[in-house]
Amino acid sequence: MEESENWFDSLNLKKTCSKYRVSIFHCPQFLFLIMGCAQILAILTTYKIAKIYQEPEIAALIVLAVSAMIFFIGQIIINSFERIAISSLAKSEFISIISHQLRSPMSAIKWQLDMLLSEDLKKNLSTDKFGEFLKGVYEQNERMIKSVNDLLEVNRIEDGDMVLNPESFSLQALTEQVVNQYTKEALLMNVKISVSLGSDQLVYADKIRVKRVIEYLLDNAVKYSLNGGSIEIDIEHEGKNILWKITDQGAGIPQKDQKRIFDKFFRSKNVARYKTSGSGIGLFIAKSIISLSKGKMGFFSSENKGSIFWFTLPTAGKINS
Amino acid sequence: MKKILFIEDEESLQNVVKETLKENGYNVLSALDGKKGIEIAKNEKPDLILLDLILPQKDGFEVLEALKENPNTAVIPVIVLTNLEGSADIEKALSLGARTYLVKSNYSLDDVLLKVKNVFGE
Repeated sequence: MEESENWFDSLNLKKTCSKYRVSIFHCPQFLFLIMGCAQILAILTTYKIAKIYQEPEIAALIVLAVSAMIFFIGQIIINSFERIAISSLAKSEFISIISHQLRSPMSAIKWQLDMLLSEDLKKNLSTDKFGEFLKGVYEQNERMIKSVNDLLEVNRIEDGDMVLNPESFSLQALTEQVVNQYTKEALLMNVKISVSLGSDQLVYADKIRVKRVIEYLLDNAVKYSLNGGSIEIDIEHEGKNILWKITDQGAGIPQKDQKRIFDKFFRSKNVARYKTSGSGIGLFIAKSIISLSKGKMGFFSSENKGSIFWFTLPTAGKINS
Repeated sequence: MKKILFIEDEESLQNVVKETLKENGYNVLSALDGKKGIEIAKNEKPDLILLDLILPQKDGFEVLEALKENPNTAVIPVIVLTNLEGSADIEKALSLGARTYLVKSNYSLDDVLLKVKNVFGE
C-alpha cells in the first residue's frame, strides 16, 4: 500500500498541473493517465466479452467504441496543450510589452541625464531648461514606479494577497477628481469628457483602489479615442448597487479579442496597437479589484465604433446634505 | 543649415534631442504625432527624419508608408528611434524604407548624434 502511494507520489500530478496553472481536467498529464486507464479497462472488457459471446461483430463494436472514446480524450488533450501554449505565448507577449513599458521611461531618463552630465551641452543650458530636464527625469521615474507597482499588484492578485481597506465615499467626487487629472490628455486627443449623475449615494469600497479602476478605464477611453469625440461617464443607482459606466467613441475591441480582454498580459491587436502604449494588465487589475469589492465589471464593444465599460459597487448609504 | 524632423510623442525626449541637435548646428522641426509628422515632412522637406514607431494619430509604420508614397518625401532618409525590439517590427520598418533602426535604450544621446552625422557624411 505504502509502495503504491509512493508510486502515485512520484507521478506528482497535482504539482505538475499546478505548475501549468490549469485545472486538473485540463492538465495533459492527468488526461494521459485517464486515457491509459480507459485503454487497459477497454482491452480487458473486450477480452472478457469476446470470450463469452465469441462473435466478431460484438468485438468489433467494442473496439469501435473504445477508439471513439480514445479519440474524444485525445481531443481534450490537444485542447489542453493548446491552452498551455496560449498561456506561454501570452507570457512572451507580456515580456515584450512590459520591457517596452519600462524601457520607454528608462531611455528618456538616460538621454536627459546624458544631457545634464555633458559638459559641452550643459554650459549653454539656461537654468530654466536645466530645471525642465530635471522635472522630466522625475516624471519618467514616477512612470516607472507606477509600472512596477502595477506588476506587484498583479502578483498580489495571483497570490490572493490583496488586502482591501474599504470605507464610505462619494463615487461622483472621486470620478470628478480623476477626470480633472486627464484634462491635458483629453485636450491632446481632442476628446470631451462629461460626467452625468443619477445617484447621490455613497459606495463602500477601497477608495485608493477604486480610484485606480477609474484611472484605468478613463485612461483607456481617452487613449483609444483615436479620432477625438466624446466620453460620457454615468453614475446610476441600481438596486443595492451603484452602476458606474463609461462610453467612448474610440477604436473598440475586435470581436475575436473580446473574450480575452480581461486576461492579464493581453493587448488587442486592433488598429490602435501601434498608436498607444499599454501594459495589458490594467483591465485585469481593475476587474480583480471590483470582484474583490463585491461588485461586477463588464463591457460592450464594437470595433471602430467604441466601447462601454461598466462596474458596480455596493452602496454605503445616502449622503446627508 | 541641415533640417531635421523629429517625430516623437514623448515631450521630454523631444526636448532633449532637439537641444542636442540645435547645439550641433542643425535646424530641428518637431511633431508630436504621426499625422502632423507627415504634414511637416511634405511641406518642409527636411534633410532627415528621426521617427518613433508608437505614435498617436498615425503610427510610425503608417508614416513610413505615407513618406514612401510621395515622390518628394520618398527620398528623405529616415532613422527609426524606438523601444520596440521585435524582429518583425525591425524587418517591417526596414522594408518600408527606414535607413537605420535604433533601439533607444541601447544608445546614448552622443550615439544618436553620431548616426545623424553619418547620414550627412560628416
